[in-house]
Amino acid sequence: MASSQTDVLRGTLDLLVLKTLTLQSLHGLGVARRINQTTDGTFDVKPGSLFPALHRMEQKGWIEGSWGESENGRRAKYYRLTAAGRRQLGEEKENWAQVVLAIGKVLEAT
Amino acid sequence: MHTRIKSVLRTLFRKARLDRELDEELDSYVAMVADEKVRAGLSPNEALRQARLELGGAEQVKEKVRERRLGAGLDALFRDIRFALRTLARDAGLTLAILVILGVGIGANTALFTTVDTVLLRPLPYPEPDRLVIGLKTMSGAVSGPVSRVDYFDYRREVEAFDQLALLTTFTEQFTVTGGGDPELVQGYWVTWNLFPTLRVAPEVGRSFSADEEVRGEAPVVIVSHGFAQRRFGGAEDAVGATLVLNGDALTVMGVMPPGFRFMYDADVWRLIDRDGPYDTQRDSHSHWIVGRLGPSVTLARAQTEVDAVATHLAAEYPSADEGKGVLLSRLQDYLVRDVRTSLLLLMGTAAFVLLVACSNVAGLLLARGERCASEMAMRTALGASRRRLIRQLLTESVTLTVGAGLLGVAVAYLVHHLLTKLLPVGDLGIQPPALNGPALAFTLLVSVGTGLLVGVLPALRTTSTEPVGQLRSDGHGTVGVRSGRLRGGLVVIQVALSVVLLVGSGLLAHSMARLVDVDLGFDPGNLLTGQVQIQATEYPSVEERTAFFTSLLEDVEALPGVEAATLSNKLPIVSRWQDWYIRRSDQPPPPRQESFSAMARWVPPGYFKTMGIPVLEGRDISREDGAGSPHVVVVSRTVAERLFGNTDPLGQMVNIADWRDCRVVGVVGDARINTLRGSPDPAYYMSMAQVGSTRLQIAVRTAEDPLLLVRPLQDLLRR
Repeated sequence: MASSQTDVLRGTLDLLVLKTLTLQSLHGLGVARRINQTTDGTFDVKPGSLFPALHRMEQKGWIEGSWGESENGRRAKYYRLTAAGRRQLGEEKENWAQVVLAIGKVLEAT
Repeated sequence: MHTRIKSVLRTLFRKARLDRELDEELDSYVAMVADEKVRAGLSPNEALRQARLELGGAEQVKEKVRERRLGAGLDALFRDIRFALRTLARDAGLTLAILVILGVGIGANTALFTTVDTVLLRPLPYPEPDRLVIGLKTMSGAVSGPVSRVDYFDYRREVEAFDQLALLTTFTEQFTVTGGGDPELVQGYWVTWNLFPTLRVAPEVGRSFSADEEVRGEAPVVIVSHGFAQRRFGGAEDAVGATLVLNGDALTVMGVMPPGFRFMYDADVWRLIDRDGPYDTQRDSHSHWIVGRLGPSVTLARAQTEVDAVATHLAAEYPSADEGKGVLLSRLQDYLVRDVRTSLLLLMGTAAFVLLVACSNVAGLLLARGERCASEMAMRTALGASRRRLIRQLLTESVTLTVGAGLLGVAVAYLVHHLLTKLLPVGDLGIQPPALNGPALAFTLLVSVGTGLLVGVLPALRTTSTEPVGQLRSDGHGTVGVRSGRLRGGLVVIQVALSVVLLVGSGLLAHSMARLVDVDLGFDPGNLLTGQVQIQATEYPSVEERTAFFTSLLEDVEALPGVEAATLSNKLPIVSRWQDWYIRRSDQPPPPRQESFSAMARWVPPGYFKTMGIPVLEGRDISREDGAGSPHVVVVSRTVAERLFGNTDPLGQMVNIADWRDCRVVGVVGDARINTLRGSPDPAYYMSMAQVGSTRLQIAVRTAEDPLLLVRPLQDLLRR
């Protein structure tokens, strides 16, 4: 169960992160906790996957990072979604929908 | 898009700052997780400890982030290259050895590639060069050289397969330029009006010949080269329309060819062949090449069929001149390189072999070095480097090495190239000399990188396949040594095998070369200076006057210090070839054309054979008595004597030369290699210069010491 989770997560992490950031800017830990919360614990994003993904998306210009203060007064790097990121989210959502449809067809077929 | 580019640049050049920020971010992560745990009830220390555990290895997280950055691959490459350079510098001796070994191998290949590319692949710098064909005369099916101008006009009229069919002489002439400046000698040849349209090259200034100029008889037009226009008239524009006097004929310059233009021969001027001449006034005389451009979508086969049909019909109409005669078409590209194609391909193969030997050698060296570094590799594997990463690094190292060798190779290529152009008779082929250029350098790069991969892959695989534990033991031998030794042994075997092939090949070639050098020429070529002398027909109208001029010229030359002897001939051996005319016994009727015997026709002054070192076997030499009014005489070579007279004594017999003149045989001389070093000596016969009276002869001067010392004095003498 765990290994297949990681595989699925790897392919869709970008999508999840982008969506999570649509509502508000979050720091790295915040993103991981929010995803965990929303998926009722199914997806537990480890720092080894989270940070590479965040940094790569930042380099591609989909999210923008800036330093600020956390709720507890800690210095933390917050990420917000950019316009390009919003467009990318739309694309990823479409791709995902197609994938789900295709897999569904395979499962339905006799 | 440029966000990405900026990111790549940042990855490459702002690494320190990115890493620092990442550190801060991870620290902040750990701190916030610890905060959560403290709120859940743990002590601050315990919370921090657990938070750190949850992070996992900080280094590993950072490494993962770095790996997935944009531009990470490029960054790794640069790092590998820098590391490779440092490693190579440490092992300077080995590095130098490998650079030299591979540099020579790569360089030789580049030089040869350049030559092969230019000579075999793209020898003709004209549009659609594969549509150009050359026509050669065949006699009863066998190729036998130049074609007849008179025949050409028939072919041109009747064969439709060609876009254009042109004619040019098989030789160049020297013309004396007079009037409007210093007299000088220029080189040129004769062409039909449509040669340049056939090649699809137009004059840079002015125009090419036009079709109606051909019919005008002595059409006073000429086309000149860019270099000559510059020299004589001060520029291309000034040359057009100017008058040029060649050998007493006043000609108008119609056009100037573009700089660097050349076809078949070097020339300053191109003169126009017209309906009546100037060469091959008879159908029976052959002094030209046919060059044509196939019409659109016409195949060579179809053109040949049409040409054969015309040949048959000409043979029927003019049996005495054209029986058994035909014309064979072949692609101009193929024809021009026929002599060197085999040699070049052989050389190319050899160079490739040499490179392979070098590669095996270097692979062996790298393998040995890999063994020494085995423990270092093991350590890095233990620290977490993936095998793929290590292999990539080792390959980067070997490719860096070979690209360095490639740069050295370009220098080597330059030298070899110089040598090649001196040794290969490329200039004579009538094509542009090759030059080191873009494609050559691209080839070098390709070969360098390929060599690097080839040479590095084996050692890389071998070195990184060790078990780290085995290697890190203090006695660190493991099983690597044995396996690597066998592999190196295999490489040595490969090298020896390839080297043997190369040695045997070169041995054979050297042997052939030695035989060629040793071949008996039949005359003595040592210390012989050659040149050409031409006088105006108008200034020396009679045969006697011409003979007198040349005779006194010889006397003056022989009086020069350092000159042992001097002589003349219409064509000197090897330097000037062909000109064979029919010869038969006078007491026999002319045989049919196919069975006619022809030999090289020469006319010489007395003393020719002695000066040239050709032995007189029977009878006598040409003498002073054999002048214009005396009976015509000829000295034949042994093959001619045997062919015409068999065992009977040829002396005193009459022979008929080219249906033009009957001569008495007064002497027999040894055969000489007149045309080429290969094959057997050519049959020849020698008439008396005084009885022929030509205005253009070649001079041969045998000097006591270096012939080149005599060039200046000789030129001064001739100038007067």
